[in-house]
Amino acid sequence: MNKNEKIEKLIEQSLNSFDNTARATPKPYLLTRLNTRLQSNNSGWDTALRFLSKPIVAAVCICLVVTVNAVVLVNNINVNKSTADEQYSDEEYNTSVAVLNELENIEP
Amino acid sequence: MNQPEIIVQLQQGDEQAFKKLVDEWQNMVYNTTLGIVQNENDADDITQEVFIQVYKSVSSFKGNSTFSTWLYRITVNKSLDYLKRIKTKNRFAFIQSLFGSNHYNHPAEFVHPGVLLENKERATALFKALQQLPNNQRIAFTLHKLEAQKYEDVAEIMNISLPATESLIARAKNNLRKKLRDYYLQNIV
Repeated sequence: MNKNEKIEKLIEQSLNSFDNTARATPKPYLLTRLNTRLQSNNSGWDTALRFLSKPIVAAVCICLVVTVNAVVLVNNINVNKSTADEQYSDEEYNTSVAVLNELENIEP
Repeated sequence: MNQPEIIVQLQQGDEQAFKKLVDEWQNMVYNTTLGIVQNENDADDITQEVFIQVYKSVSSFKGNSTFSTWLYRITVNKSLDYLKRIKTKNRFAFIQSLFGSNHYNHPAEFVHPGVLLENKERATALFKALQQLPNNQRIAFTLHKLEAQKYEDVAEIMNISLPATESLIARAKNNLRKKLRDYYLQNIV
């Protein structure tokens, strides 16, 4: 038998090696393990955690947090600007008062 | 107890019906999963997931297909989900290793416990070659050869036509021949 014939024979034997295979059986007490898992699956915290650990939910949560932060930041900048404007006008007012005072106290 | 009776009882929340169902179908589910994922611990885990899914969604079983077809579909889908998870885990294995977590190590050689002793060596080579096939070919071949399902049943489980199934299994065999040739050229001759 030459090399190719030998290989072909091995290939055919391999392709037929699943013939008459007995079904594999799971480890004992599958039902007990199943019941335990079903009970733990029923708790609310597990369901909530499983929901939150989904990639899409996590991504949406991160996007939400970033968006809220950005909105708060932009609002703060606007508030600071308007406060600065108010302070400027106050200073202007004060200055004008000071000028008036100065005018009143002008000595001849 | 015939199948529809079990289903009706299960839909009514009968615990005993669930026990009977698990007793009757656990070997089929486990053997199919084991053939696809080739890891005994993971197959056991997936078998549990399959029965939990059955328990939760049995109310949606309308009887459009046979119960065994429905169960095979859940088993195949859960096994495919597992293969996807492994693929993703291995893709990020390097990053995970930087943080000290272990990535999944697939056993180099899988030996199916039900294979006849004289076929063990050849079956190991075949399982190794199966790992390299596209998922649909892998599923079709496993259902046909390991679960001894007819082409018609494989077609129904995979929700494809009969000619498509025949073509899929033929392609799987051709690809397996190529992989096995390479394997034997490197290892035996």
